[in-house]
Amino acid sequence: MSRDLCRKVGYTFTFLSDPTAAVIRRYNLLHQGAGVKGQDIARPAEFLLDSSGVIRWANLTEDYRVRARPDQLIKQARDLK
Amino acid sequence: MTHWSGGVLLDEHRRNWHLWVGFVLCIVGFASLPVLARFPATRDVPWVNFLFLGTGLTLLFVGLTRAFDQPQQYRGKITGTILGSLSVLIVPLFCFVVFYQTRQLPASTGAPKVGEKAPEFVLPDTNNQPVSLASLLSTPLVNSQTPPKGVVLVFYRGYW
Repeated sequence: MSRDLCRKVGYTFTFLSDPTAAVIRRYNLLHQGAGVKGQDIARPAEFLLDSSGVIRWANLTEDYRVRARPDQLIKQARDLK
Repeated sequence: MTHWSGGVLLDEHRRNWHLWVGFVLCIVGFASLPVLARFPATRDVPWVNFLFLGTGLTLLFVGLTRAFDQPQQYRGKITGTILGSLSVLIVPLFCFVVFYQTRQLPASTGAPKVGEKAPEFVLPDTNNQPVSLASLLSTPLVNSQTPPKGVVLVFYRGYW
């Protein structure tokens, strides 16, 4: 699914798959049974990590229609020292 | 002397297009939500959808007023009532989706916070090769010799 999506829209960044939602659980981002077929999926979230892996900015939306926009992320990344 | 004006008016019994256009605009206002959600300018506040719905309801109101105030000139008392009722139902349904349904998310209180170290993980990429967070943080990007300044992690819902 991710591979098809990447090809279709031409993304070149790394796409990872979490079919058992193990990492989603580790990050406490599970949205139980919310998938199209009732699978456990992630609640949308964006994290910006610095080079040491520390979270410097996070966006945990309360409305899944509204996520971080690319320009927001780029601005945050530019501000990263 | 024969009075013909009544007959003339009946011949001009006009189709009340405001009703149909208003109804179509209400449907479009609702159904265009997934399309307009692709663009940040029309997504965060769905103002274009509200514009469609508002214009649709206004046209329906004009059409219904005509149909009931000038029934000898305009049609649409029955169709107008049906289309108007359906359209009036679309608006609360739209508000339900936009202001309630998409906000039904579990609490995010347990999620990693700013200042904390992001939990390590290893997951397969699109070529089924395992990728760790540590490797993302340490592997230089294409055309670069130094490790990246940072990493963005985006959790999405599987297809968008």
